[in-house]
Amino acid sequence: MIDLYDYKKGLQEDGIIFSFSGPMSHEIIEGIGSAIRVKIGEGEDGDRKAALKVFAIFVEQVENVINYSVEKDSEDSQLSFGIVVIGKKDGSFFISGGNKIYTQKVPTLRTNLEKLTHMNKDELKVYYKEKRKAAKEGDSKGAGIGFIEMARKSTKPIEYSFEDIDKDYSFFTIKISI
Amino acid sequence: MENLQIEAKKSSPEIDFNAQTNILLIKGESYPENTVLFYEPVFQWLETYIESLEDEKVVFNIELIYFNSSSSKVLMDLFDTLEEACEDGKSIIVNWIYDEENEASQEYGEEFAEDMDALSFNLVEK
Repeated sequence: MIDLYDYKKGLQEDGIIFSFSGPMSHEIIEGIGSAIRVKIGEGEDGDRKAALKVFAIFVEQVENVINYSVEKDSEDSQLSFGIVVIGKKDGSFFISGGNKIYTQKVPTLRTNLEKLTHMNKDELKVYYKEKRKAAKEGDSKGAGIGFIEMARKSTKPIEYSFEDIDKDYSFFTIKISI
Repeated sequence: MENLQIEAKKSSPEIDFNAQTNILLIKGESYPENTVLFYEPVFQWLETYIESLEDEKVVFNIELIYFNSSSSKVLMDLFDTLEEACEDGKSIIVNWIYDEENEASQEYGEEFAEDMDALSFNLVEK
């Protein structure tokens, strides 16, 4: 018998409201997304604006895992593994997502993200519109503007990290605060 | 021309394109599993519809509570298509309808409006 109480207490201490680690699918976005909107947006101290923002970031992060995680059961599997965590600390919400990527993708991703951290809101808006107009990027399964979208909604610069797993793989984490 | 009607689902909006009244509607939420696949019939219908237009006045109502970044790209493509049609002499107006509490929707509407020239793009608070 595994006792999850300590695990739950640990999450609570870190202010984590929601945590999911495992295979991601579109149904996760729809199902858990709705629960998040109700949890944050409704009730006595409900904040509908925050709920919609947190949900928007959650959608982009789960879609990133689905589209870009290289951790799959098989090559053509629809299920991509990753982790998404939503919490609240010192009055602000944070949404963190992580997944395994190819180490060779790290430099490009780092450059792209670093660029976003140095842009102010107006620059992000211009860059967002420019990228949205442009044609789809090489291996981009979404519109390729998810990170800019997240950076625009974030109240502070996006935080990210890359952890080496082995010579071929790295673990990518991104954190957005609202 | 036949009308196009698609029921709203949890992550895809209601589509109600009426070629008789020339009132077109996209309403709900947009973060479908496959954005391109979902909007393919929408663009196909519009292409034929725009070609068939003479001097009818078209009203395109868009009321989206939430849309993800790949839907944002699709909306941009949609407005570009409508803009081109207007440059071609067609008469189309877009009503971007938002709830007063939904700041994000208002901001996105304003940003789309900035990029449109020939297309009349109205922001309408509910």
